[in-house]
Amino acid sequence: MYDASISNSSALKAVGAVLVVGGGVAGVQAALDLTELGLKVYLVEKSGAIGGVMARLDKTFPTNDCSLCILAPKLVEAGRDPNIEILTKSELLSLDGTPGNFTARIRKEPRYIDEEVCTGCGQCTLYCLKQIGDDYNENLGISNAAHIDYAQAVPTSYYIDAKACLMLNYQTCGLCAVACQANAIRFNQKEEILELAVGSVILAPGLGRISKEVLGRYGWGKFADVLSAFEHERLMCASGPTNGAILRPSDHKHPRKIAFLQCIGSRDQTCRNNYCSSVCCMYAIKQASLAREHDPNAEITLFYMDIRTHGKGFDAARERATAENNFRVIYARPPKVEDVFDGGLLLTWATEDGKHYYEKFDMVVLSQGIESPDDAEQLGQAAGIDLNSYLFARTDTYAPLATSRPGVYVIGAFQGPKDIPDSVTQAGGAAALCSGQLVAARGTEMTKAVFPEERDISKEEPRIGVFVCHCGINIAGVVDVRAVRDYARDLPGVVYSTDNLYSCSQDTQQHLVNIIREHRLNRVVVSACTPRTHEPLFQATLRDAGLNRALFEMANIRDQCSWVHMHEPEAATAKAKDLVRMAVAKAAHLTALPEQRLPVTPAAIVIGGGLAGMTAALTIVEQGFPTTLIEQGDTLGGSALLLTADRFGRDPRTVMADLAHRVKTHPLISVRTKATVASVSGYVGNFTTTVAEKSGTEVINHGVMVIATGGRPYAPKQYLYGDSDRVMTQLELEARLASGRPLSAKMKQVVMIQCVGSRGADLAYCSRVCCGQALKNVLRLKALHPELTIFVYYRDMRAYGFLEDDYLRARELGVIFIRYAPENPPKVSHGRSKSSPLKVVGYDPLLGEEVAMETDLLVLSVGIVPEDPSLLSRMLKVPVTADKFYLEAHVKLRPVDMAVDGIFVCGLAHAPKSMDETIAQAQAAAGRACQPLDQGSISPEPIVSHVDAELCIGCGACETFCPYKAITIDKEVKPRKARTLTASCKGCGVCAARCPTMAIDMGRFTLEGIRAQIAAFGTETGV
Amino acid sequence: MSDYQPKVLGFLCNWCCYTAADSAGVGRYQYPPNLRVIRMMCSGRLDPSFPLEGLAKGADAIFVGGCHPGECHYQDGNYHALVTAALVHETLERLGINPLRFLIDWASAAEGPNFVKIITQFTEQAAILGPLGTSEGIDPTLLREKLTLAAVTAKDRKLRIGLINASKEMMKGADFSRSTIAGLVHDKCNKVLTELIGISVL
Repeated sequence: MYDASISNSSALKAVGAVLVVGGGVAGVQAALDLTELGLKVYLVEKSGAIGGVMARLDKTFPTNDCSLCILAPKLVEAGRDPNIEILTKSELLSLDGTPGNFTARIRKEPRYIDEEVCTGCGQCTLYCLKQIGDDYNENLGISNAAHIDYAQAVPTSYYIDAKACLMLNYQTCGLCAVACQANAIRFNQKEEILELAVGSVILAPGLGRISKEVLGRYGWGKFADVLSAFEHERLMCASGPTNGAILRPSDHKHPRKIAFLQCIGSRDQTCRNNYCSSVCCMYAIKQASLAREHDPNAEITLFYMDIRTHGKGFDAARERATAENNFRVIYARPPKVEDVFDGGLLLTWATEDGKHYYEKFDMVVLSQGIESPDDAEQLGQAAGIDLNSYLFARTDTYAPLATSRPGVYVIGAFQGPKDIPDSVTQAGGAAALCSGQLVAARGTEMTKAVFPEERDISKEEPRIGVFVCHCGINIAGVVDVRAVRDYARDLPGVVYSTDNLYSCSQDTQQHLVNIIREHRLNRVVVSACTPRTHEPLFQATLRDAGLNRALFEMANIRDQCSWVHMHEPEAATAKAKDLVRMAVAKAAHLTALPEQRLPVTPAAIVIGGGLAGMTAALTIVEQGFPTTLIEQGDTLGGSALLLTADRFGRDPRTVMADLAHRVKTHPLISVRTKATVASVSGYVGNFTTTVAEKSGTEVINHGVMVIATGGRPYAPKQYLYGDSDRVMTQLELEARLASGRPLSAKMKQVVMIQCVGSRGADLAYCSRVCCGQALKNVLRLKALHPELTIFVYYRDMRAYGFLEDDYLRARELGVIFIRYAPENPPKVSHGRSKSSPLKVVGYDPLLGEEVAMETDLLVLSVGIVPEDPSLLSRMLKVPVTADKFYLEAHVKLRPVDMAVDGIFVCGLAHAPKSMDETIAQAQAAAGRACQPLDQGSISPEPIVSHVDAELCIGCGACETFCPYKAITIDKEVKPRKARTLTASCKGCGVCAARCPTMAIDMGRFTLEGIRAQIAAFGTETGV
Repeated sequence: MSDYQPKVLGFLCNWCCYTAADSAGVGRYQYPPNLRVIRMMCSGRLDPSFPLEGLAKGADAIFVGGCHPGECHYQDGNYHALVTAALVHETLERLGINPLRFLIDWASAAEGPNFVKIITQFTEQAAILGPLGTSEGIDPTLLREKLTLAAVTAKDRKLRIGLINASKEMMKGADFSRSTIAGLVHDKCNKVLTELIGISVL
């Protein structure tokens, strides 16, 4: 079930490089994770720029975060990483060889513009005579043959569409070559065939589009105002064809009535996509919310078959959005869209009670599903891997990222329909598997990043540059960005001020470097989003420009201004000016700070010995780092042991036994059962954990930690559970089905109830796996007793992804599914005697009345409760959600990282998920955890304390209060003076706040800096 | 509710309250636009002079936001912030300034809505109090002069040694209730405060 690492005794030495096919968010994340693990990357992308589908999205659910804003830093990072070679306009032709020693043949089509020389100025587009549809904007706008996909594209280089170019086709025009000041145009560029030596391969080609024919059934292509979701996304986006105005293509008016149709090209046997695309329910909610933001008075209707918002926090986000935005939600599937004479679009539908309705809408948005890539078969052949019946890569439940060919992994939508966090998670997991497979070759192909020497600015007067970001319309839609820019120009110390559409894009980084050099800036203030996510990006840019990274400050005018004062543009603009003024005042006091490098203890601790914990431990040790696995129970296995079959009929318990055996016998894993964590101290690279066991306590030093504390089934009190032998949970049914006498022969009828305790008062969230488990058990029951009558009461059958196959199969076998409303669940009572069949009364929406039935067995689908995280989360200082799941550092792009560096989470401790999802996530956590271990050292932010020896009176208060023993009184020197132990200091500043003589100051958060901010706060804005 | 737009200055810790403020933004939770934020790594960094200086420089109200008690990213920085806050409160009272103009409260990284609630209520309350001096019935210029002096006083060595002792006893007694901490700070700093600021103007 795991790829064993490549034997090093083989004659050929493994190559420390990985081919990543596909430059979407999954591929880019995999590339970034791989180089952090010491592997060189060839990132092969079909189109002219990396970014994939995520770069085309306006926002991302469930937080409605700006998509490109969170993606761009990653694209920029990939673009500037010397160990990631980005090959655009390229595709994989063939893959020969064996794991560790593949030869990949790549066809690279010409860009006709030299990437190395192009400055991205855009003159070529300006002069290009040949107009083409703007593919990035879903052909809703016009582009030119010489173009760039989008402003923030990486590489920041234009390219020429060979099919459209007049010069390439008719040997005429050639204006771009004249216009290009950099002389970058290369009409004679030829296709290249590259042969790359790589150790392993990750396939991340992304998703294919639902065919135009299927969209056409709903009037797309025929009626101008029927839009695909991708088109609608571009209309919403500030950098889209309408600059962010949602306008009907037919008349450029704002639509007053918008309908969203779900399951277009999904759950649809007629187009052979029986599976559920998993993401459309949620993205429709996002699009509807943004449509509401654009027009507070629009009437918005969403048509659902089932509302499948099964991800972490999705139900809560959906419910809030639906309530706040006053959406009309209808359970129905309108079969078609009709045009009526006065320009409206007519929808007809039947609700579950059999009633028929019709209504006119101004605009219809088709929530199109996810398909396997258009060239899936070709790619499958080139890579030599098997596909499933829907042409996605075939994988196994217990090795979800491994394809049929050893050494070739698959991530993202090609592995099965999924959202961004799951894709990012898989990227991390696949990187870990490559790193384990190529363990001996790590570091062999790497080159070191070189930064220019830092300029000494200590003797210079402040020359501050201010960069105010529009963030598309995220900021500029509320704050008058140009007014803020002009205001900043006159602030003390400011010598340069400008505004950028997106400050985080790659071309802006180069622009920043140029401006810093040109204007000899020695402090930089970026006024944009939050330093918590974007500071590292800009700090890297400062280093590129030869400035120390501590000479940087951000003013948070998006997350803490434009987004929270959306309806008060004037007040928000005034606030933005104040925040910029305060940041500038602080910046004037910034000084260059020396970097520190701290050694890392190359060992890990994994807490929890279930599927997630064991997988994480094995994935870490395969990368060569010793791991201690701590389990509070007396055996390994966790809650996966409660399952007796997966949906393919295999017994997870045997898999778990095998896994446990491998864990226990692995020389680098030390297993501690009946053990708990008593205390944790330290920081990434240098944690010290005390483990309490029966035999006593033990202190373990380690560099990283993975939390895999798991969950357990919710214990129901409803529906006579515990009161009747005829009531059991799905898990108890599983045990029964695996026993010698699964069911009595007299059994005729079984009723199942979904969402018991879930999505309501007891557990507020959806547990994601219960619908799939019910379907699996339904099919198992049917296989044992084909004549058994089964009813399933459900709210939304969340058979996402390929589980939809099971749902279809169950219906084909005659299982009856009845939807119930949360306010009117089925009622269960005893029969005549305690031993007689139970009575179930439930409302049947099809019949429109209460239906009473007798059942021999009532099976409750109960949700998943996380193990109580309170003690551990407090020890580790990591946040948990209201539902008591660990809260990841970023829901989209850092799905397994905790806010505290060096701590990672996977499995049920993070959120309910299936076994294959758990394994992928555990592998991801293991991969991310190994990054600092592989690097061998870390360089924390230089925000440490320092002591002014002249002022220090040696009282020792700082030593008393420092939580890290990072400041001590040097007893060797007389008189006694305090001294900072830089390596231990975390920069909290308690010592500074308590120093009686104010002899202690903090890096970047200096006394004078903060005082300057306070003083600047008090200065009137002059608005 | 008063129409006055108060000037509110906030000191937020990086790990909890600042993150909560960001997540409020991501969730598009709206709140009054009066708050201006200074980010610090930990609320424990709060020097007693900062809030006093803030009020002296023109703030009508000061908010300090940290992690929930027991959940400080740096173990116990927010407890030390409570000690600092107690001194600020006592100083304000001695100057005759309504103590409601200074608030220290908590929101975890996951609590965007809670942050919004705290800031909304605090801003509304500050609006009701009006410009500094109004609810106090004291000439604002005079008050700001006194605050400037008080901010200098907060840097006094003897006063800060009082704070050190209060912090030490708090850690020893492990009672982190606000009333106990206020008592400790009063015990340790009363003498110096009386010497430097006086008992009370009221």
